[in-house]
Amino acid sequence: MDYRRDIPLAITFLVGIIAVLDYYTTFESVTNTFTVIKNWGVVLQAFALGLGAVNLFRVHGKRVSERTREDWMFSGWLLLMLVLFVVVGLGTGQYDASTQYAWIYNALYMPLGATMYSSLAFYMAYGSYKVLRARNFEAALLFITAVLVIIGNTPIFPATFPVFFNIREWIFGPIVSGAYRGIRIGVGIGAVVLGIKTLVGLETGYLGRW
Amino acid sequence: MAIQMGKQGKIKIRRIPGLDAIEEIVGRSVEMGRPVFDIVGMGVFTDIYATQTIAGLSILSYVSTLCARLGAKLYAPQASVDVLPVAAEIVSESYRMEGKLEELDVEEQLPYLSGTQFAWASGIIGMAARLRPAGNIMIGPFWAESMMFAETFDRIGAMQIGGTARMYQIPFFAALCDYVLIGEEMFAAGAYVSGDPQQIGSIAAQDWYKLAALALGILGALLATAGVTIIGDLLIM
Repeated sequence: MDYRRDIPLAITFLVGIIAVLDYYTTFESVTNTFTVIKNWGVVLQAFALGLGAVNLFRVHGKRVSERTREDWMFSGWLLLMLVLFVVVGLGTGQYDASTQYAWIYNALYMPLGATMYSSLAFYMAYGSYKVLRARNFEAALLFITAVLVIIGNTPIFPATFPVFFNIREWIFGPIVSGAYRGIRIGVGIGAVVLGIKTLVGLETGYLGRW
Repeated sequence: MAIQMGKQGKIKIRRIPGLDAIEEIVGRSVEMGRPVFDIVGMGVFTDIYATQTIAGLSILSYVSTLCARLGAKLYAPQASVDVLPVAAEIVSESYRMEGKLEELDVEEQLPYLSGTQFAWASGIIGMAARLRPAGNIMIGPFWAESMMFAETFDRIGAMQIGGTARMYQIPFFAALCDYVLIGEEMFAAGAYVSGDPQQIGSIAAQDWYKLAALALGILGALLATAGVTIIGDLLIM
């Protein structure tokens, strides 16, 4: 018996069966058991978060003290921000509801997130440039379709020539929906089969045994 | 039944170029003396994308074994606190099995970057720009960051395999990756790379279910056209 493999598989099976029973049945004992398991999960995640913070200090503190990597200053910045957020949150006694905490969150964190999100436009432009080149018949079809969708999505064109709106709707309807549903059915079945395989111990890749 | 047939070696499945290319990516990285990235996404084990995360971890297991065996340096940046220890254990196990555990530095090669989407994304983009990997394998649940990753790794000349079951991200991978696993192909990945006949049988079962869904779809369309709504009524029940 391989305990390193069999014990996690047994736990996966047991928890998985309880989760499935909880979803499909209304037995109070099953619901209560699964609630306890979910609470364990929450506690474990909280511990993982705490361990993560300790781990961050250890890993990045080492990088800052050694200063051998070219990106060590990022480690320093990360630790500084980590300490700043914790000190401000705990120092005010109001945690994330305090004005100071909200300020550093809104003034530092939010703009950075928004900037990264906005930069997606440029990434998409690059991707479009790379894909939308009529190198062969299929690429030419994709190019024509993309142009028609862009025109259909730009208000001035459908407002002037309603046919562009109808073309866009036709592309999204019979063509895209058909392909989309086909892939969705495959994804659904694939996920169910993988779930069953994981439950019965056939899928062991997540244990490092493929 | 499919698993039994698989055990008897009666089932053959089609090639999946995206999965066959993993070995090529690792080999290319060894030749170029540059690292390989394996990104499993920012999914967790407790949401509806858990199966995608598990599929990504199966591939991570395969990739880390190949990296340990062939001598390529692997980087697998993490975004989830619950996936990180599992990923670290998987990679450690692979290196241990290949007798090269001393070559693995988990803290450097599997760094926890952030649980926040764009902080994690910018961390990976920065790592990619500095380390200039020769290959990138992205299999798992991805959101808007998929385009950022695909574009960044494409720009630095990395060979890429992308795979996700999140519909809105598949086109981004298709645009910029060398190989794409579309939809359910990623769920078959673990079984496919294992080469285990028993697991290959399960992939066949997946295809049989799809054929059954197709047959039901056609039957439902024909019956609905004829005004018979029995299948629709059954599904609503």
